[in-house]
Amino acid sequence: MNITIEKENGVVTAQLEGRLDTPASLEVAPTMESLHDDAGGTVILDCKKLEYISSSGLRLFLSLRKAAVNKGGTVIIRGISNDIRQVFVMTGFLNLFQIED
Amino acid sequence: MLRKREKKEDSTKGVSIRAGLMVVFVAAVTLTATTFIQSHYLQKGIKQEASLRAQSELEGARSDIMDIVNQAEAAVRNSLWIAQWCLSQTDSLFRVPQRVVLDNPVVVGSTMALVPDYNSKYPLYAPYAVRNLVNGKVQILSLATEEYDYPSQEWFLLALEDTEGYWSEPYFDIGGGDQYMTTYSMPVKDRNGNVAAVLTADVSLDWLTSVVTDIKLYPNATSTIVSRDGNTLVMAGGTPLEGEKYQTYSIPVERTGWTLSLSVPEKDLFANVRQAGYLVRLLQLLGLVMLVFILRVLTKNLIRLHTLNEQKERMQSELRIGHDIQMSMVPKTFPPFPDRKDLDFAAVIIPAKEVGGDLYDYYIRDGLLFFCIGDVSGKGVPAAMVMTVTHTLFRAVSSHETSPARIVSVMNTSLTQSNESEMFVTFFIGVLNLASGHLQYCNAGHNPPLWLANDIKKLPVEPNLPLGVEDEFSFQEQEICLRYDDALFLYTDGLTEAENASAQLFGEERVQEVLHKRRNSMEHLKAMEEAVDQFVGEAPQSDDLTMLFIHYLGGEQHLVLHNDVQEISKLADFVDSIAEENQLDPSLAMSLNLALEEAVTNVVLYAYPKGTDGVVDITARLADGSLEFVISDSGIPFDPTAAPKADTTLSVQERPIGGLGIYLVREIMDDVHYERVDGKNRLSISKRV
Repeated sequence: MNITIEKENGVVTAQLEGRLDTPASLEVAPTMESLHDDAGGTVILDCKKLEYISSSGLRLFLSLRKAAVNKGGTVIIRGISNDIRQVFVMTGFLNLFQIED
Repeated sequence: MLRKREKKEDSTKGVSIRAGLMVVFVAAVTLTATTFIQSHYLQKGIKQEASLRAQSELEGARSDIMDIVNQAEAAVRNSLWIAQWCLSQTDSLFRVPQRVVLDNPVVVGSTMALVPDYNSKYPLYAPYAVRNLVNGKVQILSLATEEYDYPSQEWFLLALEDTEGYWSEPYFDIGGGDQYMTTYSMPVKDRNGNVAAVLTADVSLDWLTSVVTDIKLYPNATSTIVSRDGNTLVMAGGTPLEGEKYQTYSIPVERTGWTLSLSVPEKDLFANVRQAGYLVRLLQLLGLVMLVFILRVLTKNLIRLHTLNEQKERMQSELRIGHDIQMSMVPKTFPPFPDRKDLDFAAVIIPAKEVGGDLYDYYIRDGLLFFCIGDVSGKGVPAAMVMTVTHTLFRAVSSHETSPARIVSVMNTSLTQSNESEMFVTFFIGVLNLASGHLQYCNAGHNPPLWLANDIKKLPVEPNLPLGVEDEFSFQEQEICLRYDDALFLYTDGLTEAENASAQLFGEERVQEVLHKRRNSMEHLKAMEEAVDQFVGEAPQSDDLTMLFIHYLGGEQHLVLHNDVQEISKLADFVDSIAEENQLDPSLAMSLNLALEEAVTNVVLYAYPKGTDGVVDITARLADGSLEFVISDSGIPFDPTAAPKADTTLSVQERPIGGLGIYLVREIMDDVHYERVDGKNRLSISKRV
């Protein structure tokens, strides 16, 4: 699991690459938590290269989202695969995030 | 080969002929020896008997002769005193012989011849009385003639010396009676005791002929009377022949010096014996001819028997070869698939005769196990041939076809069309997907296999016809799903119908009894064989016996993880391999991966107290079209299904961070089930795939 973070014009883009399973979530949790600082603006989670996500990954997304709500920012999830979209549907996450192709 | 056999037959024939000739030879020698000994003793007996009879006949004849002799001698003796008295009266001297002749009918002539010069008046004086044979009158003649010279005659000279009287050699009398005669002479003494004359009595020998002619013992016998000097007086019967063997019996006739003989030719004596001998020899010859004939027939039969035995041996060896060929056709390397962990397979075929009508076969193609068992009606070579055809058909048709019903249909058509012997084949074919446990099968009139799952039951089968009965028959196919550890036991009726000495059948109950104990497939078949052997005992195996044991160990995979978060990464590969094996859709695979991860993470993180080492056991199995994961651990009891269902409709602020894991498991899987078994948490999650 690899996360690349880019900041441009006040927009933070985090590119997620690989499988976000439980061990990976534990591993990338500090990186993801660092994005909470930027939650007042727009945070884009680029998931084009995200292959898999489990509930522990979803928790990281949700806590970022909660931080954004508190700070009045926006979290955009971009480019999720159909399979992951199904997981978002199941969990109701589709309604919690702004999803972009 | 053929020439060799002919040669062998020839030599057998030669030996038989030699043995036959030997038997005939020994029989002939024995018969001849027996006949010879018998004939020897018989001839001896006959000779003794003939001797006795001859003796008695001869004695009778002798007594007849003695009668005459006595009469003649008496005639002379009784006249001696008159003769003495007449010596002094020469003129009446002639009366003495005249009286002898007149008084004695047996005497034909008589003389009283004076010793020369006894009477001075008549120096030679011999009046001779003779009976005229024609008129019976007695004439008186004189023998004192110059020509005759009686004093030099034998009867005169020898009688002078013999006071007892003398019987002359027979002679042919010319003057007296022109017949053979013999003369008895006695000296006559005067008062002074000097021999003065000889008184004689001539006896004709004609009556002797009748005496010997009366001896009629044998047709060709010769009776003779021989004189003292060896002259034959009388001979009756046949003249003795040169080269003929005779048995001669003799008896002396006292006083006359004659010998009375009877010569019997042996051919007369042994005429009956000889005839019987001919008959016996003829019978013996006939017997020998019959013996030869019988021996010929026997020899022929022996040769035929010998040939038959040879043929039988050859046939048996060919049957053995047939058996070997048949055995080489069915696969029999066990275990057949040593590298496969999902299958434990064993099969056995025990033919009742050298070749049998049972068959089985199996092989794996594209992850499918094709297997079949069959039983051709009947036994022996014809059944074996149909079996071979059936086996070949199975191999050929199943190589490009996976539906059991279609395979069976093609086989049936082919078997029915070429079925001239009206034999049929009960047949069961199964195609088992080793990955999923999905079994498709078609039963063509065979006895239903046994399905060993939690209990033992018969596999449900459609009532299809056996193969080779009806060309157009539509075979019904069936299917079931085998679970891990399920087993199938296929057999032919040679098992359930194995018969012991008291005609009891082995039966299905005994079969199930043996199967009840769980063993591996080889052990199962061995145990079954032993049970049948023990049951049947000494009774001969009446039918082929074939058994297949298929122990399914597929459709299940294991993974063991430690209670370390990092271990969770291994689940991806685990699920991927299952998905690949079962050709699952990648999206489905991901969902399954997710559900499994959520379930396992729960255990890894919370089942064991922090810092203690624990294990999570994961089993994945595909059965009945469902993929089931069983996650078990021996950690603290925890039922994840008891947690309240997450509410996905809440707003961002309201949503709790946790609680999604078990929710996802429930969402993805069709069935989630928790139980605490043997001190273990056991979570079973399954999904139709």
